[in-house]
Amino acid sequence: MRVAKTIWILLVIVITGVGWITVDNRYFKPKPVKFLVPKGWPQPAYDFSKNPLTEEGFALGRKLFYDGQLSKDGNFSCGACHQQFGAFNSYDHNLSHGFNNTLTTRNAPGLFNLAWQKEFMWDGGINHLDLQPLAPITAENEMAESIENVLKKLKADKEYRKLFKAAFGDETINTQRLGKAMSQFLLQMVSSNSKYDKVMRGEASFILPEQLGYEIFKKKCVSCHSEPMFTDYSFRNTGIPADKYLKDMGRMKITNNPGDSLKFKVPSLRNVAMTFPYGHDGRFFSLMSVFEHYRKNMVVMPNTDSLLTKKMALSNFEIGQLTAFLYTLTDSTFLKDPRFAPSGFENNGKAPVDIHP
Amino acid sequence: MKTPSLLFFFLLGLTGFCFVKKTGDIHPSKKLTIHFHHQVGNKDLVLGEPVVNILGDTINIERFRYYVSNFSVKDNRGVIVKLPVEYFLIDEENLQSKSISFTVPDISIDEISFLLGVDSTRNVSGIQTGALDPLHGMFWTWNSGYIMAKLEGSSEKVQSAGNRFTYHVGGFRTGMNTTRMIQLKTPAGMKSAEIHIKADVNRWFKGNSEINITETPVCHSPGALAMKLADNYSSMFSIYMIQ
Repeated sequence: MRVAKTIWILLVIVITGVGWITVDNRYFKPKPVKFLVPKGWPQPAYDFSKNPLTEEGFALGRKLFYDGQLSKDGNFSCGACHQQFGAFNSYDHNLSHGFNNTLTTRNAPGLFNLAWQKEFMWDGGINHLDLQPLAPITAENEMAESIENVLKKLKADKEYRKLFKAAFGDETINTQRLGKAMSQFLLQMVSSNSKYDKVMRGEASFILPEQLGYEIFKKKCVSCHSEPMFTDYSFRNTGIPADKYLKDMGRMKITNNPGDSLKFKVPSLRNVAMTFPYGHDGRFFSLMSVFEHYRKNMVVMPNTDSLLTKKMALSNFEIGQLTAFLYTLTDSTFLKDPRFAPSGFENNGKAPVDIHP
Repeated sequence: MKTPSLLFFFLLGLTGFCFVKKTGDIHPSKKLTIHFHHQVGNKDLVLGEPVVNILGDTINIERFRYYVSNFSVKDNRGVIVKLPVEYFLIDEENLQSKSISFTVPDISIDEISFLLGVDSTRNVSGIQTGALDPLHGMFWTWNSGYIMAKLEGSSEKVQSAGNRFTYHVGGFRTGMNTTRMIQLKTPAGMKSAEIHIKADVNRWFKGNSEINITETPVCHSPGALAMKLADNYSSMFSIYMIQ
């Protein structure tokens, strides 16, 4: 009888315990990750309280970022067009390749320091980082998939059910969790360790051309490409006439305001040496062609930025020094950071091409 | 054996007690159900069946969806009771979606009001769940924001691919805000727990202004046309039958 009694008591304890664990989920304790704001930087725009960073959330976001299943035919992951060695731009591509031999209509920008950004895309049409992945996933000339199908594929995958549970506490897979997980990965892609940053922290010093370039930069570029983000996130018309096939009117499409015609977001210049081609449609294949645009080829329009109505005077000497400075914005730690590489390729990063010592 | 089974039930009870949810409200309340009925003029809307609209065009309606939210009721003394904020996607294709229920205070309801669309807060707060999940096809991914209401169909008169007309009405920013506040008076002293609301699709084409499917077959972004359509259909609701 004693044995039966013991078994009974043990059984009751086990049932009670299991009940608590499964219903209350009190053993769901993901490992929190602290988001570090680099010294001297503004506070991020992203509301972390709605999506607290965890190791599990990051791991899930990273898997999703590199998973072709998010596209219709399995060929196009986010990472296919956002490549780490190009600071997550489409390296050496003016436009990116999409489903069924299509091309995008805009240049894929580098992805970093997104926690500080409030509006996404060249026209700022997307108002929250969590929402951003839905645009390329559903665009016919990008990943061409429906949200419904993506969720269906993820739900059918045992590994994903496990990862969603680890990140969110249960196996529910929905659009919101998909967006939050992707944000967990994207938010942690902070690029703040370029030579410029080291100089600012007093850990390194500019060589002469870099220093001269920095002085010129502070006179001629910094009012739009403001430090430390190297963008003020505004939308400006810099005298780039519309491509006659793309007919992209930029910010005007979002605001319906003719005054916003051909305005595009000021891109960050961090990692700029790696993010060519430049411009919203990737029409400038080199830094030199960007300088040529500003000093010569610009088409000044009625709503061209007031700072550029007379174009921008730049001597060959200045261009040389500016280029030297811009190269100090390359963050080789970020370009090689194994945390952001696809799983299995952590140590595959090529040697950085930056020129500073 | 007696002790273990007692212990078992004691612990089982204890476990169960931990799971009981708190029920708070002790005020007298009742269940209010609102049924939405979709019509074209006086004819019931049947998806895919030809019907002549108010402008004399023969049309086939294939999709008719809209969001309603932020409900409140007013009693005969003018006291307004805001109901818990909830969002509903009313979809002609989904019968269940056309009846929605609330717990309301047990008062005689004089007026019911709700927002046709999704308030701006929800348009700028990232990805939502439930009725507001972007997977329902009522969200613009390229220009963040909800499609407040959607009417799609075809007509031989429309010169476009598939003779289709598609009205996706959205926009929440100042000057382009397509949400509309709807206020409906109920017949005096309504005690019933069910309200039937009729939505007349004809109003999309003729309300404050006339919108002709031949001249204007497409609306796919916030702006002047979306505002015109929203003004038009803001008068589509009426209470038409009370049980």
